[in-house]
Formats: sequence, C-alpha cells, structure tokens
Amino acid sequence: MTTTRQAAPAPHREPGEEPGAGGNELLDVLVDESLQWTERHLDSFRLPPEATTTADPNLTLKPLGELAELTGMIASCHPLPALRARAERLFAYTWQETREGDLLAELVRGEPQAGYPVELYGVFARAGLRNAAAEKLIRTTTALRGWQVAQDDHTRTLSMLNAEARIGLRPHAEFGAVLAHTGLGRLSEPWFLDCRTAYGLTHDVFHVTDWGRERTRLAPSAAEYLRLWLPAWVAGWLEEESWDLVGELLAVAACVPGAPFDPVAWRRLADARTPDGALTERGAPPVPGTGTAEVFRACYHSTLVLAFAATLARTTPAPAPTPAPTPDSEATG
Amino acid sequence: MTEQAQGAAALSAVIADAASEIALALSGEGDPYALSRALRQEDALAPAAVRVLGADALAPYALDGHPGADGAGSADAAMVREALTAFPPSGDTAAVSVWSYHGLVEASRALLPGHTTDWPAPPEPGDDWLASDPWPRLSHRASQLAALALPGLALDLTDRLTDRTEDLARGFVRAVRRRDWLQSAGLGRWLARLPRTPASLGLDNGLRFVRQMSDDPRVALHVTAAQRFFGRGR
Repeated sequence: MTTTRQAAPAPHREPGEEPGAGGNELLDVLVDESLQWTERHLDSFRLPPEATTTADPNLTLKPLGELAELTGMIASCHPLPALRARAERLFAYTWQETREGDLLAELVRGEPQAGYPVELYGVFARAGLRNAAAEKLIRTTTALRGWQVAQDDHTRTLSMLNAEARIGLRPHAEFGAVLAHTGLGRLSEPWFLDCRTAYGLTHDVFHVTDWGRERTRLAPSAAEYLRLWLPAWVAGWLEEESWDLVGELLAVAACVPGAPFDPVAWRRLADARTPDGALTERGAPPVPGTGTAEVFRACYHSTLVLAFAATLARTTPAPAPTPAPTPDSEATG
Repeated sequence: MTEQAQGAAALSAVIADAASEIALALSGEGDPYALSRALRQEDALAPAAVRVLGADALAPYALDGHPGADGAGSADAAMVREALTAFPPSGDTAAVSVWSYHGLVEASRALLPGHTTDWPAPPEPGDDWLASDPWPRLSHRASQLAALALPGLALDLTDRLTDRTEDLARGFVRAVRRRDWLQSAGLGRWLARLPRTPASLGLDNGLRFVRQMSDDPRVALHVTAAQRFFGRGR
C-alpha cells in the first residue's frame, strides 16, 4: 500500500469573487465543526461483522463510502493544513474499516455485478491506496460484456466510469456519450427539476469534475447553464429547507467559474445546524434527546456534504470571461 | 365567508370572465372584441375589474390588423375613464399600482385614439426597484405588470427589464417550481418580449407547460398574449 497525496492547491479567485475574510472564516468553521461532529460519530460508520453478507449496504457501506469520498477530497484539497490533517485521519479510518481493501474483494465475490464496491475501491485508488486481490478481481469483472449492460442509470454510469479511471481500468463506455444522456448533458429545462433530478444533476457535475478536483472539465455550455440557474434552485430549495440538496448545489456552484458566492445561503445552512454542528437533511434539526442512531441517519450525509461544499467554495475557480453576473443575483430576497 | 371575502370572490369571478374573453379575442376566436361587451357596464364591479386588468382590458385592439374599437369605442373609453377615476393612485400606493395605472392610460391613448381627450395625467411611477430589487421580489413585481407587455407599450419599462433578463428568467424557474402559475405566466410573457432570454430556459415549452398546468383564465391570457404578440410558446 502506498499513499500519494498531491499538495493542496492554493485558493484561486479573482477580486470581486471573494467570499471575503468573513466568508472564508465561516467556510472554515463549517468544515471544522462538520469534521469534528463526524469524528464524534465515527462509531456509527463502523461496519458490522455481517457487512459483506446480510447487512443492507445502504446502511453500512454507503455511509462509509461517502465518508471516504468526501474526506478524501477535503484531505487533498483544503488550503488549511489543520483541516487537511483532520480529514486525513477520517479518511484513514475508512481504509482501515475496509481492512485495507480486503473487504472490497469480499464484496465483489459476494455481488460481482454490483457497482458500489468498484466505486469505493476507486475512492481509495484515487488516493494511491491499492489492494492487489481486490484490483485483480475488479479488472476481471469490469472487463466483462455483461458489466457494460449492468449499469443502467446514466449518472451512475458516470460514477462507474470515474471509478474505472481512478483505478486505471479501461473505461467500459465513452464518458462523453454517457454524459450526453444525463440532465447536465441535456441541459434539462431548469424549471422542470425536481428533487430527484436535481440530485442527478449535482452528481453529474461531481463525476465530470472528479468531485471538484478538475473543475475545468465542465464544458462552457454546462458552466453557463449552471451559472444561470443555480441561484433559482438554491433559493427554491432553501425555501423548502432541503439543506442537504442546497449543500450539494453550493458545492456545484463552487465548481462553476464566475458563479457568485452566496453568503445568504451559507448563513442559512450554518444556522440550520444543531448546536454541536450537525446538519439535518431537511427541515428542523433533531430535537434534544433523539437517539444517536436516528441523529446519525438524519445528519451524517448533510454534515459531510457541508464540509465538502465549504472546502470547494474556499477554492473556487476564476470567473470565465463571459458576461458578468448581475450584482444582486446572489440575493434570495 | 365574510362580506369582504365575498366581495373579493365576486371581483375575482368578474376578472376571470373578462380574462377569458380577452384571451379568446387574442387567439382570434369569439365575437369581435369590445371591453363593454366583455364586462357589463352596469356591473358595480366593472371599474375595479378594469383597473385590475390594466392595459389588458384593451389588449385585443393591439392585434395586427385589428380594426380597433368599432362603435363600442366611446363606451370602452367611458369604462376605462370610470376605472381610472374610481381608483387613482394615491401617495402611498405601491409602485406596481402606479405603473399599472400608467399603463392603462398609455394603452387608452394608443389603442382608443378616437377618444384622445381628457385622459388623466398619470403620476410618474417610481423606478428604483427596477435596479435595486433582489431577483425574487423583482420577478414578483414584474409579473404583476405583465399586462404592460403589449406591442409598442411601456418601452422604457421594457428597456429596464431587459437589463434584468437573467433575473426574471430565474424568477420564472422559481415560480414554476412553486406552482405559482400566475406569476410564471406573467414572467413568461415578459420573457417572450425581451430580446435576450436565455435559450436554456426553454421558454416556449415553459409557456405551453404553464398554460396546461393551470385552469386560471388570467394564466391563459398571459400565455396567449405571449403567443400572439411575441411569437413564443405556440
């Protein structure tokens, strides 16, 4: 096993696009407190003994995979060393939970058609963490003709293609051709988005940009589409108190050159948290006295997304030389 | 239901009926249009309905090739004048109401040219909000002024709104997602008129969608106006 971490990129913004000192301060507090909350709830991410057999992967491997993906990104991209170190410890924990990849090989043997073990292995491979047995097995299954038909959702197929690229496998389909069938590729009518298709769109962006690491991969037409319509989506889902989706949309906004920083939305997310720093997916935070498991299920994803989005917003790309955003387009009225 | 609520419901019904007539006339169906036929002159609610409909009370006269008000012209002019007299803007009237009053006077001068005398001189409406309102509030106000989106009318307002095209388009997205069909249709009508509406909005499909999601005749009126006057959403 080897670890290859790239140096964290320097923040890159043009004057006028800065969240400002107060904005950066808020973003850093959000990352820090989200990661601290996650540390205090690490036991809830622990895989049960039956993780590779009878356990529901949506309650075991999905949270662990999200923890790995998002802390891996923060650990390699956040400009502050202390926050990178905090994220790195969480990321290392996820690798330990997979028994340095041995568990992934077991998962593939148990369910060779399933995509999630490959996606999860891709997260570790991206960071230079390899497991020879898992990788050999994955090379075999993903080369099958049957693998090419097993993935039916276009956004999910992008995820798989990204995982294949991270592992160094031959892609089972052409990325651009698959992207063309997604909400982002088709530039869906912005007023027709619902919650489900909005999550599809945010993940299209995450897969295209390798979770915000390669933001220049967004096509200019896609970037312009997002710049135009993100303020309307953020405002709408803030009104519905869909904090989790707003967090993902703010992460997407941070991937778009020239998308304005939206201080109102960030403040709303900050204020929606519990006193100990957890963000619930939707609506009011869990009332005091709610059981640990219930709080974890309600909050772990949004809390991680908040840390991820705030890390991306700390390092937004320079605005494209296209029409400048109007001064008040960030307001939510 | 309180007396006030009953009054409001009755006025809404009168406005809805008139909006249906106007939409029908704009789509080239129905009898030749006259405001004095769409609304009964003796109806006590007629002046309030004309004031709420604003310039749209005369919209069918703005169609290409329309002969204009026929023998009904003087009756229509009398109805408009009565509405303007009964509901003048006062010092504390909301900016939108002043704009709407202004638009009705402007439409009367342009579309009832045989009756040019003694239209009231409207006050200059406030326009700070066109630059300063955040986009959701701007969108709400602009949609309330959608009757002014008529050919040749409210050119200054149109110019000012052109500067905020992206914001109005965002307002359309938000309004459709909130299923606020009246606001959606009003904004869609403006966006049909503005020259730089972003292609990725999908305005033509959006207008058709809104029209079919709502059974409000005022929505039908805005969409029909967008189709007939500005060629969008057909």
